[in-house]
Amino acid sequence: MIQEQQQAYVDTLAQSFGENWQGAGSMEGSSAFVQMMSSNELLPVVLGVSLIIWFVLLFFLVRVDLRIKALENELDESEKDTLTKDSSETAEP
Amino acid sequence: MRGLSPWKYLLAVWMTLVITVGFLIRIPHIPVLEETSRNLFLHVPMWFTMTVAFSMAFWYSIRYLQEEKLSWDRKAETATQVGLLFGVCGLLTGALWARFTWGTWWTFAEPRMNLSALAMLIFVAYFVLRSAFNDRVKRAKISAVFNIFGITTIPFLLYIIPRQLPSLHPGADGNPAFSDLTAPELRIIFYPAVIGFIGLALWIMNVVERYKTVSDRLEDRRNYPFA
Repeated sequence: MIQEQQQAYVDTLAQSFGENWQGAGSMEGSSAFVQMMSSNELLPVVLGVSLIIWFVLLFFLVRVDLRIKALENELDESEKDTLTKDSSETAEP
Repeated sequence: MRGLSPWKYLLAVWMTLVITVGFLIRIPHIPVLEETSRNLFLHVPMWFTMTVAFSMAFWYSIRYLQEEKLSWDRKAETATQVGLLFGVCGLLTGALWARFTWGTWWTFAEPRMNLSALAMLIFVAYFVLRSAFNDRVKRAKISAVFNIFGITTIPFLLYIIPRQLPSLHPGADGNPAFSDLTAPELRIIFYPAVIGFIGLALWIMNVVERYKTVSDRLEDRRNYPFA
């Protein structure tokens, strides 16, 4: 009985996966984007994956760059403040 | 000034185009390589970029020994780091490509593969050496000398010796790199990809070097608050 149930569970899963795969094969009624991505033996999918990785890395690099720029500006400002403070102190009689 | 330098925006667009066109361009059927010949746009620029980065490190190390300014040491260390980063990427991508074209991840019968791994180990040693010193000036001086020695081995390990030996790798045994295994059409993307990756390396170097400068300035402030 238990064996039968397990068998039924596995069969359902396999079947549902099977239908999914069948669905991926037929292009009728699917959007232009899906049709384009499914062309050339799915090569555009690899392109999509590569572009996602590239954009994520680029986003990270830009963010780090801007954060360092903010730190540089902050340091420059505080050094300028210290210098002006020093010079005003020395200028006093 | 706010925002990024203009060349960085240009590079972001350039690389995006290189990746996109690299996948979409029609390439001729090449036996054994099949679609993996597109790896030429990715794997080979890793080595070109590494060479440029190490050449920069070589120059910065010489400049340090001439002037003994710590900023040259910072630049040399950064260029070596980025060179090693791209070299490791070259090794990993090469191993994956080899698995599906030569049938193995790694073979000790392949001189270029093994000698490039050896070259990377020389630069791993550079960072181990750096970590052995607490004194900034001593570290900079000895690292510069080591780096100049290390980088002079690169042309021999990566170009001269592998070209003289029989090998599966294109560009060996006296053959040009663009041999019968590759196709001329691939050059249309290959050269822009080389430029793009070198640009990307320069961007990474720029960020890392600025980070180190800020970090050193803060350390100086902590150590000499009244200077």
